[in-house]
Amino acid sequence: MPIIVNLDVMLAKRKMKSKDLAEMIDITTANLSILKSGKARAIRFSTLEAICKALDCQPSDILEYVED
Amino acid sequence: MKDNTTILTIITYAVLLTAVSVLLNDIREFDLQQFKEFQNWAKSADKSESWFTSKNAIKWSYYAISAGLFFWRGYLIYGFTYFLSILSEVDKGQYFSDKNISYFKKIGNIFIWYAINVLVLRFLLALIGKSSFDFFTELKTEFSLLIPCALAFYLLAEIFKRANEFKKDSDLTI
Repeated sequence: MPIIVNLDVMLAKRKMKSKDLAEMIDITTANLSILKSGKARAIRFSTLEAICKALDCQPSDILEYVED
Repeated sequence: MKDNTTILTIITYAVLLTAVSVLLNDIREFDLQQFKEFQNWAKSADKSESWFTSKNAIKWSYYAISAGLFFWRGYLIYGFTYFLSILSEVDKGQYFSDKNISYFKKIGNIFIWYAINVLVLRFLLALIGKSSFDFFTELKTEFSLLIPCALAFYLLAEIFKRANEFKKDSDLTI
């Protein structure tokens, strides 16, 4: 898929663990893992909003378009 | 939902048992009546007559076709056992599982194969017995329900396939 999820990078920049983020945005670690691995087919605006708020970043910091 | 599937499973078992007992009874009656006739004929048969053109061949063809009809009835009953598998999946809460999709397709296939093969065998039986055979009457009376049912099951399989895709999409939406 040409949409890359850079959640790992942002987590590393903020020095935050996946488990902590999952707790902050109220989703399961399994779902967060799906999102990080790029296996997710879609992301809700509410989830994106929660991630941006927790990591203090913009959606473009998390999602990136790379042509195949 | 659990109670509903339990009731439906019991009903399916009752239908299956009834169908099997009717089939077994028909086989028993068929053997008793037809085989005696064949034995009587064999005693008085002309031994010099060639096998292929003799009544013997015709009789054995009749037996083979009748046995074929029993086989296809058994096959149809086997098709009904897939309902139990579907109900078991529903009971587990896996409504749109790949298994259910394949079961619906299998039931559709079995209904279609039964309808076609029984039609052909009945035609052959009529040919051997030199009785009249009206294709459209047979098609209308015997198979007007089975063929639409088969098509309905194919449709259900397709709907469940689409639902399965939507469910996967929904599960992978974070």
